[in-house]
Amino acid sequence: MTTLILPPLAMHMANELLSVPIAGLTLAVAAILVLIAARRARRATTDDRLPLMGVMGAFIFAAQMINFTLPGMPGTSGHLGGGVLLAILLGPTAGIVTMAAILMVQCLLFQDGGLLALGCNVINMGVIPCLLGWGLYRLVLGPVAKAAAWRQYLAAWLACVVGVTAGAAMVPVEAAVSGVLQVPFRHFLGVMIGVHLVIGLCEGAITFAVIAYLRRVRPELLGLAADDAPVAGRGPGYGVVMASLLGTALLLAGVVSWFASTLPDGLEWSYSQHRYGAVEKAVQNKSPVVLAVDQWQTRWSPMTDYNRRGAPLGELPAAEPNEPESAWPNASGWRSVAGVLGTIITLGILYGLSWWMRKKAV
Amino acid sequence: MHHHFIDRFAMGDSPIHRLDARAKLLAVLTYTVVLISFNRYAVSDLVPMTVLPLTLLWFGRVPVWFALRRVLILSPFILMLLLMSPFYDRIPHDATFGSWRFTISGGWLTAMDIAMKFALGVLALTAMMCTTPFALLLEAMRRLGMPQMIVMQLGFLYRYIFVLIDEAMRVRRARDFRGAALAPIGRRLAAVGGVIGTLFSRTLDRSERVQLAMAARGYQGEPRSLSQLRFTGADAVFLVLVIVYLLACRWAYPRWF
Repeated sequence: MTTLILPPLAMHMANELLSVPIAGLTLAVAAILVLIAARRARRATTDDRLPLMGVMGAFIFAAQMINFTLPGMPGTSGHLGGGVLLAILLGPTAGIVTMAAILMVQCLLFQDGGLLALGCNVINMGVIPCLLGWGLYRLVLGPVAKAAAWRQYLAAWLACVVGVTAGAAMVPVEAAVSGVLQVPFRHFLGVMIGVHLVIGLCEGAITFAVIAYLRRVRPELLGLAADDAPVAGRGPGYGVVMASLLGTALLLAGVVSWFASTLPDGLEWSYSQHRYGAVEKAVQNKSPVVLAVDQWQTRWSPMTDYNRRGAPLGELPAAEPNEPESAWPNASGWRSVAGVLGTIITLGILYGLSWWMRKKAV
Repeated sequence: MHHHFIDRFAMGDSPIHRLDARAKLLAVLTYTVVLISFNRYAVSDLVPMTVLPLTLLWFGRVPVWFALRRVLILSPFILMLLLMSPFYDRIPHDATFGSWRFTISGGWLTAMDIAMKFALGVLALTAMMCTTPFALLLEAMRRLGMPQMIVMQLGFLYRYIFVLIDEAMRVRRARDFRGAALAPIGRRLAAVGGVIGTLFSRTLDRSERVQLAMAARGYQGEPRSLSQLRFTGADAVFLVLVIVYLLACRWAYPRWF
């Protein structure tokens, strides 16, 4: 049976969706957040629980092996992503640190998710689901020690759906700020939210089942028997919950809605940015979108290795200084041939050298 | 599953294996930064960027097919995105290759660009991971300033990942043998919850036992490593070479050709 494993594929960002400044910025933000979380987690979990988060990371990998065939979609099975469950069971800070470790191992060992996109991935799949999910869970749950069963299930479910979808909604935002994607922002956002609502529902169902089981078998893990709760019972007060929840929600709502309004999609945005440029007169026979893209790329590309068709290049003042000057009329074409040939020759020499060294070593 | 599955080539010996893990980590990081800084239409400028990952793989005695297979396995999500871009950007561009001229839409250029960057990035990362044992990489991260806490969690994660995955696989097989696929949805969901819940509480106990075992062996809050990282002249030469190469790829090549 072909199984489609949804969550990991659909959310790990690749390097190519980011520009260098955004990658650096998100890496820095993620690093700071994880550091804060690590410090707090270390204070909350005493020294006798040091291996906890690492081993729990391994647990999430294992739990992802337990698939659940989705009803109505034969051949498709969902599995746990894990961020929200961790946040519920271990608390948000330990959850964030564990998710960060998981994402780093996924990136390094399995090359899933880019090295530079790690910051984005930690924010999307670690920080947001953990904080938002945990906050929502606590909010719906009310007083932990004597929570009713239905409340706990509802809370877990809601936390998963909202946490996962909110994290996924950040992917198009990050890609749009980077200006890498050509897929319009709105379409991308719609697709991501749509797909991740389904994934979130599935994740919610599994989390719900796990909570139901733990409630029956080891209720102290959920903080139900307040006095000897080893992990989850040591929760901060209601105010902290509200603050973290509100903060994350506002941040998210602010960022996403700001983009949805001011940046309807990448193309329109670039069009409105440059519509009064001098270039407009030069290419009147083109549709506005075409014009915008043309301008946008001449502005942002330091070297253009193709010629614009139909557009009178001489009348585009912005493009002039960037074009490589050459006496050769067809320079760019021969340049690419030279590049390809040179690369092949270099690779040949290097391969020969490595082969020779290997033979000498044997 | 065992560590052999991911660490197959990392324990070998080659000029690349002998390099300091810090040098390799920095080189691959810089390579990735340079890689994604290329303009998205400049497909032909990416060609010289293939040299570094392939060289690392060859000199590290890692079969290229192994690395290429990793690229294929990981490609579905990126494939979806890059197949979407030709629909949105249909402005034709004249491309030339030698005396051969053809027209290609901007969307296809972007798609090719994303595909190449993705493949090269994964190849470089694979080359590093296949020539560096994970423990040494962790040590390198620690020396480069990653907090002890995080490095330790990564170490534990790496140590127990296959232990727990094997356990989960056993439980899953047992569940499937008992005909779980035929059960109604509610029962199936309960089974998944039970399995994961059991795994969770077992893991909690396991982490306590690990902690006890560590304490019994004299752990006092600071892990000691026997692995030695020595940054030698060869590493410096390697780093300088990589940086010169990257500068040439990024600035010299597109300008001077």
